[in-house]
Amino acid sequence: MSGTKTTLSPIREQAIAWAATTRDPDFADWDGFTAWLEADPAHARAYDAVQFALEDADAVLAALPQLVPEPEAEPEPAAANDNPPSGWLASRRAWLGGAVAAALVLALTSVLWLAPSGGAIHETAPGETLTIALGDGSRVELAGGSRLAVEGERAARLEAGQALFTIRHDAARPFVLDAGATRLVDAGTVFDVRLAGETLDVAVSEGAVVVAPDAQAIRLDAGMRAVREGGRYRVAPVDPAGVGEWRRGRISFENAGLAEIAAELSRATGLVFTAEPGDTRLSGSIAVDAVRADPRALEALLGVSVRPQGEGWVIAAR
Amino acid sequence: MASTPSLEQAYLAQRERLLRFLRARGAGEAAEDLAQELWLRLAAAPDPVAAANPGYMLRAADRLMIDRYRAERQAASRDKAWAEAQPGLADNIAPAPGAERELAARQEVAAIERALADLGPRAAAIVRRHRIDGQTQRAIAAEFGVSLSTVEADLRRAYALIADARRALDEV
Repeated sequence: MSGTKTTLSPIREQAIAWAATTRDPDFADWDGFTAWLEADPAHARAYDAVQFALEDADAVLAALPQLVPEPEAEPEPAAANDNPPSGWLASRRAWLGGAVAAALVLALTSVLWLAPSGGAIHETAPGETLTIALGDGSRVELAGGSRLAVEGERAARLEAGQALFTIRHDAARPFVLDAGATRLVDAGTVFDVRLAGETLDVAVSEGAVVVAPDAQAIRLDAGMRAVREGGRYRVAPVDPAGVGEWRRGRISFENAGLAEIAAELSRATGLVFTAEPGDTRLSGSIAVDAVRADPRALEALLGVSVRPQGEGWVIAAR
Repeated sequence: MASTPSLEQAYLAQRERLLRFLRARGAGEAAEDLAQELWLRLAAAPDPVAAANPGYMLRAADRLMIDRYRAERQAASRDKAWAEAQPGLADNIAPAPGAERELAARQEVAAIERALADLGPRAAAIVRRHRIDGQTQRAIAAEFGVSLSTVEADLRRAYALIADARRALDEV
């Protein structure tokens, strides 16, 4: 990809001007934009390059404080950085310190980060739940069979399972959650996150969350849900009142495979469920207590067959 | 997928316009396929009434092309990194980075941070408000007590700095 070298190329200036306006929710001149694109194929290429750069920058932007301009206080000592940037960012670096900066790097490379994190680790056994109070009044309710690393008051990493986050709004310090390899940035929010292998399910009941600000940058408002499966996101409405219903002993499936259902049931009940292979996909809502008391209750609830095997239960299509 | 008839009608009414936009946007021969993909996205939109708005559809078409460009870039860099790849990760997750890749990402973060620092606090805050919080330029102008053209100018300046930072890295 060999672009023109001159920084002040008119095409590039125009591409930047269009990128600045098409993003605006009020933008309406799509026909004018189309006409500009049609005038020269180089226009679309320049616009693509600008948009690509901007999306990468979003990861850094999302972590910025929503600052209101203010007189500079005396500069704080720079954090342990080889090359701290100059200006206003430098003086606000304390909060953007090691962990967050490192996480930003990871967000940009979209890598799966498996190294243990530095903060406190909270872990639940299947069938168990745990409420974690964060220092600033926010709280996290951790579902069964889940693992969460808390990295300070405004950052956490969901390593497995599911959790409901009730986050106190602080415009200057957005709460940053890494769910596996995907970053979520909240804007004062109640949201539920479920991580199962490569499947990620985020549902927002209050406020808003930005999923993967560096890549897809999907903004979820209250009553919206994003599910990533097979590397693709699907956004759908969700009943805000139903978000986090697992805390009240209920779990729901929507077009879920038997293996996913078995894994979720194991996590919620503490019993061991496995699934026979197959393509069956089911939707339904289940009271966890009923299944814990009698796993065969699933037969009626989901229209599957359930049989004991060893210490656990096998779910099969009927 | 229960799409209301009105969304489908609205889409069909805009289809030629959307195809023309997709072609202009660089879709080429894939325009028809991309229009189909666009329809699937629209049909899955959380608010079908909003999605029936032509502006929403065109924005979604633009988004589709942005995603496509990113996917192509990522596929290209993944192919390059394949020799050191670990197998078996999801297709939107790149293989674990070599030291080189991680260094490149760190340089990128640093370059973007520098670009934002060069902007000054007001412009940086405006960009964040616009891109991350999704505020309209008009609302931002009111919030910051500046004119709409100042917001536009700040955004353009910010975008130019960010694009320059990115290009400087790509050319290294």
